[in-house]
Formats: sequence, structure tokens, C-alpha cells
Amino acid sequence: MARPAVILIGADKGGVGKTTVARTLLDYFGAHQIPTRAFDTESPRGTLKRFHPDVTEVVDVTAVPDQMKIFDTLSSSQAWVTVIDVRAGLLSSTLQALSDIGFLESAKKGQITFAVFHILGPSIASLDEISETARFVGDANYFLVKNFINNTTFFEWDPETYNSYFKRIKNAIEVTIPKLNEMACEQVELAGTPFVTFVGNKTLNGEPANNSFVLRGYVRHWLGNVWAEYDRSKLIDIIMPKIESGSARQAAG
Amino acid sequence: MPLRSSVTIVVSPRPRVGKTLLARMLVDFHLHEGREVAAFDLNQGDGTLAQFLPERTTSAGVVDVAGQIALFDRLVADDGVAKVIDLGNESFASFFAVAEQLGFIEEASKHEIVTAILFVLTPDASSVEAYGTLNKRFAGALLSPVHNEILGPAPHRGKYPLGRGALLLRMPLLAPGLRKYIAKAPFSFADTGADSGIPADFGVELQHWRRRMHIECRELMLRLLLADLSAAIRFVS
Repeated sequence: MARPAVILIGADKGGVGKTTVARTLLDYFGAHQIPTRAFDTESPRGTLKRFHPDVTEVVDVTAVPDQMKIFDTLSSSQAWVTVIDVRAGLLSSTLQALSDIGFLESAKKGQITFAVFHILGPSIASLDEISETARFVGDANYFLVKNFINNTTFFEWDPETYNSYFKRIKNAIEVTIPKLNEMACEQVELAGTPFVTFVGNKTLNGEPANNSFVLRGYVRHWLGNVWAEYDRSKLIDIIMPKIESGSARQAAG
Repeated sequence: MPLRSSVTIVVSPRPRVGKTLLARMLVDFHLHEGREVAAFDLNQGDGTLAQFLPERTTSAGVVDVAGQIALFDRLVADDGVAKVIDLGNESFASFFAVAEQLGFIEEASKHEIVTAILFVLTPDASSVEAYGTLNKRFAGALLSPVHNEILGPAPHRGKYPLGRGALLLRMPLLAPGLRKYIAKAPFSFADTGADSGIPADFGVELQHWRRRMHIECRELMLRLLLADLSAAIRFVS
């Protein structure tokens, strides 16, 4: 049995692109043929659900029945990876809940692989969350994500301040999501499909679409750069350690 | 000719080497062959393709995304129309940078469109280098060197390593007296009859030159067809 992996994507601020990052991750795992499921906490109507309806379920992560739905099924689910898009402002409280149910303890013991993708906003305020969340996630694989997708002028803070926060989490991995051309970004939103589906010029139902070749090119190029960041940070190795994935494949076969 | 569809890009990193004249001839050739043709002009200033063939030519740009969509989405459209691009030297680098990032050649071949790059040869080092780079970066296109005889007997000799089987397209020298007639826009080579203002003997000379250019263009189309066929054969085997 593969060790299940949980990836929490969050930020304490809205509008920093959590869902975008979640979408690139689902595409990335899809490309690596890693069975993945996702939970969207934008209850009752989730954005992630709109782009990846097949694998996404909308939940209220603060409610006990939904917590059971997510965490009691980690080992029994077909999916090896569980991606949770945590609604703005709920990252700290979600981590608190995970601590309460003993999930963080299991992660510490190595029964579950746990990773946090902390999406950084452009203001200094969101840096305070790092110290806030740091106390929960000592051993988690902590990804600090600078999301430039909609933004060219992003971090304007003083590097010294930034580094002092950054160092509070041991072994934090820095990931940069590059800018995507606005028009391309907008067209994918309109299409309401995963990025790879847009690039492949298909609709959500697999029908041929009529997306602009130029915009598909922009998205393909951008997604390639995002995936290169995930490759660089050895994300696959982290969520599926070599020995584990080998035995998992045997079990699956 | 059973050629599916083609995009021909006339290029040089140098100005004033005869790109627009060659692009005009290509449009004329396609029309002469009874093919639908659309031309795209990436030049500024005077004497551009858009001025010579206003009805067939779209002014294009690659600087912003809207311009890129207007150009490249047209180029890969399944409309069966032959496309000719007059790529001004100031757009040379940006056009190919965008084309490479978008994967233009690959997308075109998915739509059964073959791409030819007609490179007007000049002896300068930057052109030699640009030619080599295009050869490497756009292996899926037919890179065809062009010798414009007005630039000298053989400006390329010993400078361009032309591979075996590479087609050197020749633009024959145009009689000096004729140039003034064809240099005034708008002008169509198909239209050199008695009412065009061109004296009869010059008209005959011009038609002769035009026919020689057509032979060169036909040879180019044949190479494109062969390249297309051999790619299809490789795919089948």
C-alpha cells in the first residue's frame, strides 16, 4: 500500500491564486499518471470543482462529517494524493483541526506524507502567517509559493524582512509561479477546463474546442515553466518516496 | 498540384535585399496557379507588400498578443489558403522567437500545412549566423536559400554551408529599365497589358522574367511536396 499523501494549499488572504496553483498541481499529477483527488473548501460552490469536476469534491473543512470524508478515506481511496484547496483565512484553523484529530501526529510518524503549499500574497501582512503556520508544520514539506500569475510587480518588501520570516521554517522550499499573459489566463477561465485540456484544444467533455493557437501556446509554455518548478523542487519524490512507490506499483499490479 | 496547404515566409535579417519583391512574386505565382492566397506584411515604411497588393495583404505584427493571434491563428487555420509572409528585418527576431515558443511549425504540420522559409542570402556574418540558427531551431520547416542576382554573382559562396539537396532559389536579374515600372505601388504582375502603361517590348521582357520566377516557385512547391511526402512516408513506416 502506498503511503497516502496530502497536500494542503492555502493562504490567509484571498485572491492570491490558491486555486490556480491547485489546478497546476492536478494537471501535474495527471501528467505523471498519479491518481489524485481534490477537495475544494469554497463551500458551497467551488472554483476548483468547476475546472476539475471529475476529481473534485466540495467540502466544509471545518465540519466534522467532511473531515471524516477527507481523512478517514486516505488509505482506502483509489487516489494516492489528496489535494485540498483551503479557503482564504482557513489555513491556520485547518492546521489546528488537523493537529486536533491527530493527523499531524501521523504525518510525523511517517504514516502519511504531508505537504503544505503556502501561497504568498504581495503584502507584508501575509508574511505573518508564516510564523503562525510554522508552529504546526515543523516536519511538513513546506512550499512557499510566490505566485506571479497575474502580477508583474509582486514582492516589494525588503529582502531582509523576507528572509527573517522565511528562515522560520526549516527546509522550506521556494516555488515561483511565473506570469501568464492576461488574455490567455482569461480564455482558460472562460473555457473552464484544466490547463492541459485547454492546451490540447479540447472541451471539458473531450470534444474538439476552438481555442486560439497563440493562447494555447502561451498556456503550454507557462505550464511547462510551472511544472519545471515542481520538478526542480522534487515534488514527485516527496509525495511518492522511491521505495514506497515501487511497492505501491506492485500492489496495484 | 496536390499540395495540401503551405505557409511561405520570406526572410532576411537585412533590409533591402528583395524580400518584398519575392513575396509579391509568390502571391502572383499562387494566383497564376489558381490557388487562393493570403499575404501578411510585417514591414513598416514605404514600398511594403500591403501597398503593392492591398487587396490580398493583411498588415501584421507580433509585438502584442492581439497581433500574434491575428497572425498565427490565421496561419494555422484549416482554410486551404496558401499563405505568404513578408517578414521585415525589424520583425525577424521577434517573429521567430514567438513562432518557436508557440510551436508554430509543429502546429502547422498537425493541420497538414507545410512551412517554407525563404532566406535571401547576403554575405554578412549576422545573416550567416541567423541562417544557421533557423536551420537548427526550425528543423520541421523547409529552409530554402534564395540568391537574388541583383545582390551580386554569388554573395553566398563559401559562406553558407548549403546541405545536400538544398534548393537554391534564384531571383533572376531584372532589366534595369523595367524596375521603375514594377516599383510603383500598387502593382500586380498579372496586369501588364496594353493599358498598364508599360511599353510593349518591356512588357514582353517582364513576362519573360515573371515566367522564370514562376519556374523557381514551382520548383519550391515541388520541394515542399516532397518534404511533406517523405515525412508522411516516415510516419507510415
